[in-house]
Amino acid sequence: MRGDRLLDVSERWFRLLQRLYPADFRDEMGDAVVEAYRDRAREALNRGGIIRLAAVWVRALVDSLRNGPGERARPAASWRRRGNWGRDAELATRRLMRAPAFVVSTVATLGLGLGLSAVVYTVVQRVLIDPMPYRDPDDLYYVWRDYGAIADLKRGMLAGTDIVELQKAGGVIEQVVGLGRQLQTFAIGEGAEPIEIPVMFTSPGLFDLLGVAPAGRAFAADEEGPGASPVMVLTHELWNRLGADPEVIGRRVRLNNRPYQVIGVLPRGFVFARNESAGPPQRADAFIPFRVRLDEASPRDGSYAGLVRARRGTSPEQVAAAVEGVGRAVDRRDFDGRGLRLYPLGLKSDLVSGIRPALLALALGGVFLVLALLVNLASVLLARASQREQELAVSRALGASGAAIVRATLFEGALLGTGGGLAAALGAFWATRALLALAPLDLPRREAVVVDGRIAGVVIAAGTLIGLLAALAPATWAARASLSSLLASSAVRGGGGHGRLRRGMVVAQVAVSLVLLAAGGLVVRSFERLLRVDPGFRPEGILSFWVRMPPEFFPKIEDVIALQDRIEQELAALPGVSGASATSVLPLCPRPLPAFAAARAYQTTISFPGAPGNTGDADRDTPLADQIGARVTYLDVMGIRLLAGRPLDPARRDDVREALIDSALARQFFPTGSPLGAEVRIGDRTLTIVGVVRQARLYDIHQDGRPQIFVHADGYRPLAFVLRTGGDPRALIPDVRQAIRRIDPRLVAAEIRPMEELVDHSLRRQHISAVLLSAFALGALLLAAMGLYGVVAGAVMRRRHELALRLAVGADHRALLRLVLREGASLVTAGVLMGAPGIYFAGRVIRGVLLGVTPLDPLTLTSVAVGLGLVTMLACYVPARRVLGIDPAQLLRHE
Amino acid sequence: MGMDRDRRERESLPLRRVEFHILLSLAAGERHGYGIIQDIEARDEKAVPDVGTMYRALARMVENRLIEAAARRPAADAGDERRNYYRITDAGRRMARAEARRLEALTRAARIGGLLAKATK
Repeated sequence: MRGDRLLDVSERWFRLLQRLYPADFRDEMGDAVVEAYRDRAREALNRGGIIRLAAVWVRALVDSLRNGPGERARPAASWRRRGNWGRDAELATRRLMRAPAFVVSTVATLGLGLGLSAVVYTVVQRVLIDPMPYRDPDDLYYVWRDYGAIADLKRGMLAGTDIVELQKAGGVIEQVVGLGRQLQTFAIGEGAEPIEIPVMFTSPGLFDLLGVAPAGRAFAADEEGPGASPVMVLTHELWNRLGADPEVIGRRVRLNNRPYQVIGVLPRGFVFARNESAGPPQRADAFIPFRVRLDEASPRDGSYAGLVRARRGTSPEQVAAAVEGVGRAVDRRDFDGRGLRLYPLGLKSDLVSGIRPALLALALGGVFLVLALLVNLASVLLARASQREQELAVSRALGASGAAIVRATLFEGALLGTGGGLAAALGAFWATRALLALAPLDLPRREAVVVDGRIAGVVIAAGTLIGLLAALAPATWAARASLSSLLASSAVRGGGGHGRLRRGMVVAQVAVSLVLLAAGGLVVRSFERLLRVDPGFRPEGILSFWVRMPPEFFPKIEDVIALQDRIEQELAALPGVSGASATSVLPLCPRPLPAFAAARAYQTTISFPGAPGNTGDADRDTPLADQIGARVTYLDVMGIRLLAGRPLDPARRDDVREALIDSALARQFFPTGSPLGAEVRIGDRTLTIVGVVRQARLYDIHQDGRPQIFVHADGYRPLAFVLRTGGDPRALIPDVRQAIRRIDPRLVAAEIRPMEELVDHSLRRQHISAVLLSAFALGALLLAAMGLYGVVAGAVMRRRHELALRLAVGADHRALLRLVLREGASLVTAGVLMGAPGIYFAGRVIRGVLLGVTPLDPLTLTSVAVGLGLVTMLACYVPARRVLGIDPAQLLRHE
Repeated sequence: MGMDRDRRERESLPLRRVEFHILLSLAAGERHGYGIIQDIEARDEKAVPDVGTMYRALARMVENRLIEAAARRPAADAGDERRNYYRITDAGRRMARAEARRLEALTRAARIGGLLAKATK
């Protein structure tokens, strides 16, 4: 029994002696050395009792005094002094492997933050920076018509005649195509089930202009116009959807019940969308050459987008001059020189102009988050290095070179950074997919947003760089750590030179998170206002879908009207449906459907003869309005508010022509009296105003668009039908499909969507910006809180002797708590002061994405400041509470 | 490669005494640290290395790949407590042999030079 106790005491002695060895040797060999001594001690005790044991003790002391410092001076692994990158890496790895929790938390933090930034980077790179996937994409321009002189339409479509004039222009304009787009009824063969697909009508040169060669062949120059044989090129996507028939080329298909021959299939992944005068670019599933003569179209009928290829190396100014020249000629010829302009916009800037402000704001947020990550990692590494302060100082004193320590620290940082970068790249790979599922449908080039090897490489390299940069601070500090500085600061252990550095870092973190929080707060607030916006109708419980009633099937207007009545009746009779109606234009998806034959123009100039609000200025008195064909129950089913008068009269009489106008028109033209009973002219038709409505917004959910005028939908086609139900609108979809087919097997219900989904889509851009920016902001705040926590905890540790002394001379714990908290608060204050100007600049950047909120919104900024203050002070308070546990008597006795 | 290795071996010679003893012990089979010390004592060596010296040498030799750590397992001579075992590597064996040859050559030279008595056949 006594022997065992002696052995235990011996073991404690041997362990104590181990302290003389450097930490890494102790980690590796310490146990084995103690075991060996224990064996030796046991043997000594057995052989010669306590005297011999004492000799072993003394021997062990002498041994450790010699070999401990000896090992520090000349480590077994001599590369620790001589320097060797490979071995340094091994050491750093081993050291990291001994702290798995540290590694996991650091890599996870870095991976998460960097991953978020990587997603934004991917989107920015793909959407804003990467060139469009066409031949010489910088030479491509869209041409728009500025109707400014006669209507409030800056970005209008071109007339067929404009396309022809541009094609004749020559010079720097190498090639011009017109682009029309419509939903059409497609069937793979006679009697096959029809589907509705968007079809692009184009000049034959489109594929040549884009620099893409379809499998099969492209259109020939003589395949345009009414007499040409009907040919079609399919997208790879449609071809796949139709069953990827390898024999498809040459096959006869039907479009609107007319035969077409498939002559080509576009390459996989090739995407081309037509930029629209309003709203997102629109794709098509198939391409056909124009079936009409563009030069015979009405110059007033703006139905086409014009796409131009400039001669290589032409400057945008030259292209603009050429296009404007054509525009002036057209203006003189077709518009009596009233000043309508044509102007070009580069293909890509035209495409991304809408999304650019949001992306730039997000990119800036991402950069700030990366900065916050960098500072966080630096302070974490610094804290870690300071735990080894003593060891570092001793090995420096014993001759270990500063370079080796710097190398090892840098390596540790790089390793962590690379790990974080890898995690981020992986995370971004999945996150971009998730994002695309969420992304606004109008995100241009969404198909290109994928993380490939190049982007992953950049992300991983960024991680490594962050790691290296972050390790720079602790590395330089560690290299300077010397025995004398250690001894000098031994009274304030854990403080030393790095304390100031870490406090500086915390200030920077607070500043960064303040800026991000302000930006995030503003965007969230703007989004929140958007959510509460009244779009002018009640979207909940509404299912919408389009039905084309093409003239090929229903040549007579009476048939169309009868069909509309029948569809509406059948739909209203469906179980669960409380109302059914139809419109020519659905809110929030303005689909300009300038049909080539029957349908009336959708945007139209109107006038109010004799109205008191007329000014005499012809342009002002004939505003461009959205003309909406509506069936009589449309207001009721959609929940559009009637402000005055009555809805359209259900009785259909030839002599009754009624219209509803929106409140803006009513205010403009009838500022004092009532518009009811007054006349409105649309083209050559005169209608009587029977009611005033609140706009059901077609474009932006948060603001009224062009003035609206509602007329009877008689003969309008296609029509969007709307159903109201008390339950989930999606549940109606099968019934709807069936009902439409039952009415006429040639009809198709296309683009069936709940109205709420359309509302949701129109909010998505703001939604995603808000989510991402607030994630950035919260991430940065968390990092700042972590930094503060560390600094305050360190300060309590460092000052515990001083604090104990204060307690001993009469201060109470609460005063100490205040003392420590004050240190944290001063850091927060400094950070806020540093970050405040940043709020101003961040506000300028995000101004473009804010709706109804100014960049200096006092409410938002105040709540951000309060929130930041609360979180940061909590981060100070938790570690500061440790002062309450200080017992002066105990602590000072230890001194 | 071969030349390179030879040169490295030559440059590392002579081995420290403790290193040679360790290689000698491990050449006969796997040992734990204290086992090696006991071996050295058994060899009737006057200056038995200290435990610290021993383990520093072990650490150094692991770094230089002359020996490697074997599995930690119970040791019969330590009341079946578990111990770290080591085994010799090929490089270690070559090194030990080279050192032995070097010592042999020196001893032979000493005999020829009359410093030592001629070996009795």
